Amino acid sequence: MIRWDVIEGNLPLIAAKLGEHLALTGVAVGVGLVLSFGIVLLVRGRRRWVGPTLAVFGIIYTIPSLALLAFLVPFTRLTFLTAEIALVGYTLLILARNLLAGLDAVPADVLEAADAMGYSRVRRLWQVELPLALPLIVAGIRIATVTTIGLVMVTALIGYGGLGQVMLRGYNFRSDSLVVAGFVLTVALALVADLGLGWLGRTIAPWSRARRAGA
Amino acid sequence: MSVPGTTPAASVTFDHVTKRYAGTGSGDRGAVEDLTLEVPAGRICVLVGPSGCGKTTSLKMVNRLIEPTSGRILIDGRDAAERDVTELRRSIGYVIQQVGLFPHQTIGENVGTVPRLLGWPEPRRRARSEELLALVGLDPATYRDRYPAQLSGGERQRVGVARALAADPPLMLMDEPFGAVDPIVRERLQNEFLRLQADLAKTILFVTHDIDEAIKLGDLVAVMETGGRLAQFGTPEEILASPASDFVARFVGADRGLKRLALSRVGDLPHRPAPTVRRGEDVAAAVARLDVPADYLLLVDDADRPIGWVPRRGLPATGEIDEGIADATSPLFDRRTTLKDALAMLIDAGVQAGIIVNERGAVAGLCAVEDITAAAGRPPVEAPPPDETPPPDEAPR
Repeated sequence: MIRWDVIEGNLPLIAAKLGEHLALTGVAVGVGLVLSFGIVLLVRGRRRWVGPTLAVFGIIYTIPSLALLAFLVPFTRLTFLTAEIALVGYTLLILARNLLAGLDAVPADVLEAADAMGYSRVRRLWQVELPLALPLIVAGIRIATVTTIGLVMVTALIGYGGLGQVMLRGYNFRSDSLVVAGFVLTVALALVADLGLGWLGRTIAPWSRARRAGA
Repeated sequence: MSVPGTTPAASVTFDHVTKRYAGTGSGDRGAVEDLTLEVPAGRICVLVGPSGCGKTTSLKMVNRLIEPTSGRILIDGRDAAERDVTELRRSIGYVIQQVGLFPHQTIGENVGTVPRLLGWPEPRRRARSEELLALVGLDPATYRDRYPAQLSGGERQRVGVARALAADPPLMLMDEPFGAVDPIVRERLQNEFLRLQADLAKTILFVTHDIDEAIKLGDLVAVMETGGRLAQFGTPEEILASPASDFVARFVGADRGLKRLALSRVGDLPHRPAPTVRRGEDVAAAVARLDVPADYLLLVDDADRPIGWVPRRGLPATGEIDEGIADATSPLFDRRTTLKDALAMLIDAGVQAGIIVNERGAVAGLCAVEDITAAAGRPPVEAPPPDETPPPDEAPR
């Protein structure tokens, strides 16, 4: 059923689209992280802004992806930017929520001790709060990445789509082999990202695993 | 153990310091009202009072975690408000009940926090961390590379103290540092703290709600009452002997006479001479030698170490005294035994007097229950017995 010769013949296409898939995902998560980090830092000092901000991100999150792309095309055309606006939009809720949860989970006594020892605000953020929030931040990146890998397929609608393009081509040319190849590779990509980031989340915080062993 | 630190201790002065919180009915939120007191360099001043009396607020105004509404706090004569806040904080040690160790850093890194902020080079930081871990009784090789989650509560508290001492601050602030550990560990940490302080002679502001801890640790005690007013400021002796108000009297407790006993030691009392007879001594000679008509004699060995009490009537008329006739002995005190402990031991043993021994274990005198109660500032419950050496209980246990 799977025709390896077809897959072999389309290897350059598959490789290019795999690269595009990675690029779309990486840029979306990266930009999403920077954006949500900045916004979280802005609203964190004023607690009553937190709810409305998350509400806005939640609304974006609920917009169906096809509808959002269709809505954006008149403004930004069939561009990489259009694809990324949609993809970044969907990462914001996940990333911002985990950033907030991670920063809020830093114990009050640790912050008090840091202040009392003479940490400046900025230094405290980088050297105490962010390192302690890291496991939850990485957990957020993990969910956002896996979600984005799936969403990238949809951007095939506007000419991107990464491996989604491979599957689309499979449909158009009645080639089950290409459909299966696109599907399997996407699932594999999501799986690798999930496992890899899961591993990173565990190793990045050696202190949290060091429970009284040998104490 | 080397004594780290050469920075001279700093004096702290509260000059009409007031902290008010916005909103009504804030009197119970830790406000402070016109606090004026002076802590001389090198002393431990304990701020004690019920919750909400502003003791923690007062402490946090020193390193400006809280800014006063009015008034000044002077550290060695310099107004804390005029100093750069991070520089000020790096020069003040801070220990809190929850310790606040950084969970993501090893114990060694935690202790080296302020030196790192001050930009000390890594080798010096490391050496300093290890020196301080040893100072607080934690083996550096064992603990240096562990994370806080791997330590017990008592161990974490020691690390907290080591971290606060790291940059050799002239002033330390401690907010209920021993409040979260069990009583046995607390007692040990308190004793270690006093031993450390005897060497370090830092100026220490110490907050607690426990009057016993205040009396035990403080050179000076500031009793604060709800509303943030200073109710009394003085030595523990002064506060126990003459409470300035009903509030202070109630706060220190009805047993304040008993608490005073914890402040005095057996060595502070005049010793009663002990009617000793030596093992092997001739009975007649011994009796003739004793000019006090004691009912009980204290039998000692050749090195004057106590063996036990001998009832006078039980003595043979002639011959040598041998230890077979010795009855029960009494609790042994040394000069450093607190009167509180001494009284507890006497009550426990059911006897009227304990034996004071010197460093070599030789009898130095006797200490009787009424000597102790007299020192507590109260008359004994019963009239003192006639002038005779108090015997052990007639029927020892």
